[in-house]
Amino acid sequence: MYVIVVGAGKIGFYLTRELLAASHEVALIERDAYVSATAAEEFGSILITSDGTEPTVLGDAGAERCDILISTTGQDATNLTACQVAKYSFNVSKTMAVVTDPDHVPLFRALGVDVTISTTELILSHVEEELTGGPFVHVLPLRGASSGIVSMRVPSGSPVVGQPVSRIKLPQGTLLTAVIHKNGELKPAVHDPELAVDDAIVAITPPEKEDELWQALTGEARR
Amino acid sequence: MTRHVMIVGCGRLGATAANALLDRGDRVTILDMDAENFRRLRPRVRLSMYVGDGTSHEVLRRTGIDSVSAFIAATGRDTTNALAAQSARTTFGIEHVVCRINDPTRSEMYERLGLTTVNPNQLLIELVLDAMEQ
Repeated sequence: MYVIVVGAGKIGFYLTRELLAASHEVALIERDAYVSATAAEEFGSILITSDGTEPTVLGDAGAERCDILISTTGQDATNLTACQVAKYSFNVSKTMAVVTDPDHVPLFRALGVDVTISTTELILSHVEEELTGGPFVHVLPLRGASSGIVSMRVPSGSPVVGQPVSRIKLPQGTLLTAVIHKNGELKPAVHDPELAVDDAIVAITPPEKEDELWQALTGEARR
Repeated sequence: MTRHVMIVGCGRLGATAANALLDRGDRVTILDMDAENFRRLRPRVRLSMYVGDGTSHEVLRRTGIDSVSAFIAATGRDTTNALAAQSARTTFGIEHVVCRINDPTRSEMYERLGLTTVNPNQLLIELVLDAMEQ
């Protein structure tokens, strides 16, 4: 695949390195000459020192034949513009943006950004996981953010321990898809595996049903 | 009828627009990241000035975007203006939104997306060309 990465800061730099290691073709665009000089030592000629929100720059970088544009700068406004120019001036089929302000996530989706990566929400979900002692992880928001894939570990003392998954009273609109046993063995939910402490369930759920799902699996209200 | 207009960016364009609207009797709320820029404005009854980021939905909400009928994104940065203007239009449903875009290749795209853009450079070029014709 041909990927254009905008921004050679921390995220853009390591992302580019991983993409190259996976044998993708990459162009990395960085506006700041100082940041760019550091990245150039590692990446050489695939680095373009210019403004990745300008149509002429993206055109010169070959945006027409690009499969994915990923904008990784610390500025939401820059990331939105790079994605919109890619999508609406060059018909790039997939655009991804790092979003710093979580309030911008629904707006970016509405404005043509296919995938938003909210660093704040990602870190927050891990903080929640650590703080609640429990075990709720947001694996992936699904398109339109109307549902997401979540994973949750069955805590000791849970009312579902020893029960087959079909006995769990799931919230409406929530689909339990699989169980990962403590030893790593993956069981599809249709096989109706029995749950033990520290097994993980994988479910697709709308965000507003997460509290109910939590309650079903822990027997306690979510704090 | 008096309108309530929110302006993001108190540079020359934003400040001049604010003064003109106030002269016409409109209410103006103006935001800028730098309080120093408010020196361009005289304090007036129908004018509210706030230091803040006009691309932050929380800031826009707190400074009263829910009660404005028009919005002008007038900072010197195209990307900031595009985010602020599209927030006003899509997130807050403001009917009249004007967005300053300096790069003509980008303003064409935003126009296609339904955003009203003004390009000071383009206007200036046209004036210069007109003057040369005379």
